Amino acid sequence: MDSFNALINAGLRAIAAAFSWGPPALSLAVFAVLAGSGMIWAFRKTSDQAKLQAVKRKLYAYLLELRVYSDEPSITWRTQVSLLRANLRYLGLALRPAVWIAAPLALLMIHLESFYSRQPLALDSDTVVTMRLRSPVDGAAPDLTLPPGVELTAPPVRIVSRSEISWRIRPRQAVSGELQFRLGGQTVSMPIEARRDAHFIPGRRVNSALAVLWHPDSPRVAASAVDWIDVRYPDSAISVFGLEINWIVWFLIVAMLAGLALKKPMKVVL
Amino acid sequence: MKWLALASLLLLATGCAHQTTQAAGRRLIVLGIDGMDPGFLESHWQALPNLNRLRQQGDFRRLATTVPPQSPVAWSTVATGLDPGGHGIFDFIHRDPVTRQPISSMAEATPPSHSLHIGPYLIPLTSGSVQAMRSGRTFWQILAERRIPATVIRIPANFPPAECEAESLAGMGTPDLTGTFGTFSFYTDDPAEKRSQVAGGHIAPIHLENGSATLQIEGPPNSLRKDQAQTAIDIRMHADPAAPVARFDLPDEQFVLRQGEWSDWQRADFRLIPGLKSVSGIFRIYLQQVHPHVRVYVSPVNIDPADPAMPISTPSGFSRTLTGKLGSFYTQGIAEETSAFRAGILSKDEFLAQSRKVLTDNLRMFHYELGRFSSGLLFYYFSSIDQNSHMLWGRYEEDLLDIYRQVDQAIGDAMRQPDTELMILSDHGFARFDRAVHLNTWLMKEGLLTLDDASNTGDTEGFAHVNWDKTQAYALGLNGIYLNLYGRESGGVVSLADKQDLLDQISAKLLEFRDPATGEHVVDKVYFAEKTYQGRNLKHAPDLIVGFRRGYRASWQTALGAVPAAAIDDNTQAWIGDHCMAADEVPGVLLSNRKFRATQPQMVDVPATILSEFGVPRAAGMLGQTVF
Ligand SMILES: [Zn+2]
Repeated sequence: MDSFNALINAGLRAIAAAFSWGPPALSLAVFAVLAGSGMIWAFRKTSDQAKLQAVKRKLYAYLLELRVYSDEPSITWRTQVSLLRANLRYLGLALRPAVWIAAPLALLMIHLESFYSRQPLALDSDTVVTMRLRSPVDGAAPDLTLPPGVELTAPPVRIVSRSEISWRIRPRQAVSGELQFRLGGQTVSMPIEARRDAHFIPGRRVNSALAVLWHPDSPRVAASAVDWIDVRYPDSAISVFGLEINWIVWFLIVAMLAGLALKKPMKVVL
Repeated sequence: MKWLALASLLLLATGCAHQTTQAAGRRLIVLGIDGMDPGFLESHWQALPNLNRLRQQGDFRRLATTVPPQSPVAWSTVATGLDPGGHGIFDFIHRDPVTRQPISSMAEATPPSHSLHIGPYLIPLTSGSVQAMRSGRTFWQILAERRIPATVIRIPANFPPAECEAESLAGMGTPDLTGTFGTFSFYTDDPAEKRSQVAGGHIAPIHLENGSATLQIEGPPNSLRKDQAQTAIDIRMHADPAAPVARFDLPDEQFVLRQGEWSDWQRADFRLIPGLKSVSGIFRIYLQQVHPHVRVYVSPVNIDPADPAMPISTPSGFSRTLTGKLGSFYTQGIAEETSAFRAGILSKDEFLAQSRKVLTDNLRMFHYELGRFSSGLLFYYFSSIDQNSHMLWGRYEEDLLDIYRQVDQAIGDAMRQPDTELMILSDHGFARFDRAVHLNTWLMKEGLLTLDDASNTGDTEGFAHVNWDKTQAYALGLNGIYLNLYGRESGGVVSLADKQDLLDQISAKLLEFRDPATGEHVVDKVYFAEKTYQGRNLKHAPDLIVGFRRGYRASWQTALGAVPAAAIDDNTQAWIGDHCMAADEVPGVLLSNRKFRATQPQMVDVPATILSEFGVPRAAGMLGQTVF
């Protein structure tokens, strides 16, 4: 799983880097266009295009009937029922491609989160780094080694009720480095970014194989005592024509427009 | 002859033109420094280099204050050029003449008149509103009408801000989000803390489980629910088992504080209808102690200037613009945490640290306004000297001087503005507050106020045991005595015919009133409302205004209508300085970088001077004249 994630991550990073000369909205639009075309291609591959075409013809026919016989209630009623059945049939036919598309799309979006939902740490302001353990907190907090340019500004807080330990750190200069935790003879690292031009800001680093599906940015934590490590980054928004919007909104709008635009040239029945 | 007439006409025309351009490009900065005392300045000129230079290069005078010398009263006079009889504000606290219950003198809220009932919710169909109680037009409204740019920051008794095109931000009189003048919350698991309510705050016991506890922060009552249930947000606090440090988890935020540290401004949404309507508030958390007992102070929840739930600025988006430039800032009218200091929850040093934060917020905004000031008027108000003098006067001179020094520096920054006229004024000076006078008890001892049972003294609840059938006069607020007048007070007993006789009688007795401990006179001067004020807007005026001697002031109990046992007590509280005395005893200051012609300037002269500097005639009814 780790190497699979790393592979996707490397690919995404390469694309993001290629468009890093523009605003984030641009590289996100590139991802959205790729996703949109991928979706339309997958739809054609995984759906029964002939049957879809037939159902759609029927739908149009029923709609026409409704308009023509609008003053004959018995016909209208029958047509309504047929229309409903055709609709359900259409949904049934669209279900298979939808299932095929959903998984890779979700995977892509989970990966993209690290590129667009977080801002690097602001210089000279505090943030919280938290480690959750798999066993109760007892004894001293793990040792934390900070990269140069980052300070610890408060003693660690051991939170017994949640098996968590929180550190307050403050970057004094632009940093792209790693926090090193030592516990039980093992070393665990967590990347941190306090660089304005950072494109990729990894989220929570986790241990469990299930959790890594949601937090795929960094390889799983190997130390058995640690459940996850998290750095609180400021939220980011995408600036589009002076408007600050959530990256997901921008991504979905562009992906949808790309899909619709490619429908005709790729001869896809939707 | 024709030629001469033409020439003089031309001369007149250019003269006029010159005057208007002068008014348009004119730059006037007026700094309102609440509580700056002339005597304190005179004994510290050397430590205050900018003020010292200003009085040497320009001028310095005592500024006669209003009767009574209270900030809402005096600043309302500065705003309108009317005396209290004109603008209608006579005290921090007025009373409802019918019920005799205390009400705020500065603003009044009216609930919406029509609402729709849906389940537990009450959806207003008309908007409720808050009205400022002050009458009269303000000098910045008059300037704005003449298209003279004006920015007025935090002048007291301007909530909700007077409608106009000038930029203004409300000051003293602006409530916190819960509608009070500032209610802090304090959380502790210390079993020795038995109180739950103190003046200006409430104390909530918390229970720690494995070092974690929930702090419930109260927002406004839910105006959209029939039961007006209190809104609240929960904060989780996690304390380290040994180290003096804790983590706080808010709905959208998380931070770590060490013991003795203040958080930044935190924003929270208090939900009225889940998912649909909420109001935004801001607050700060102070982690006072972690071991052996947790002690956490949470500031009053201030109206969020980025999304104000009540009007706090004109234009209404102005406070949002300021937040965009400066980040969040205190919006509560009086932000210095004197209540928690008085309740013994914050120490003097902690109070000073908090009050420095208020001054820092205020100075940041001041420098922003100074930086973008191009022409017209900039009025800027500073609360710090007043609030700190209340807690430090006469005992902690160095600490107070430190606050004066910071304000002196700000004045220096204003003095460096090129081609700018500068005026600095305070609304009153300061004096020690050693002895607290229980005016209602004094009235009782003089036979003018009667309790239903003579043993019922000591009650802190307002007039709880007063027998109104046998009471001729009562005291409320910080300087006022009211007659129990027939036809005005419900069940009033004093007839209009007896009114003046009785007032003369009370006045004479007050002037004879001696402190049993020292034998000294307690009252310096007594003012009759009808003779003292020129304006006739006397609906809320006390019948008598008591001008105490320096060192004496109406007690806190008197302010809310209580009748303790003794007529005078030692003031043992942390609030040791005050100014609610005879007006002559506590004058303010007036300084400028120009010479004054007026030898005895007074409050009403300030707006008259401002308008005159821009060549704008005074509005009808405005008293006072230019000091230059
Ligand atoms: Zn004061």
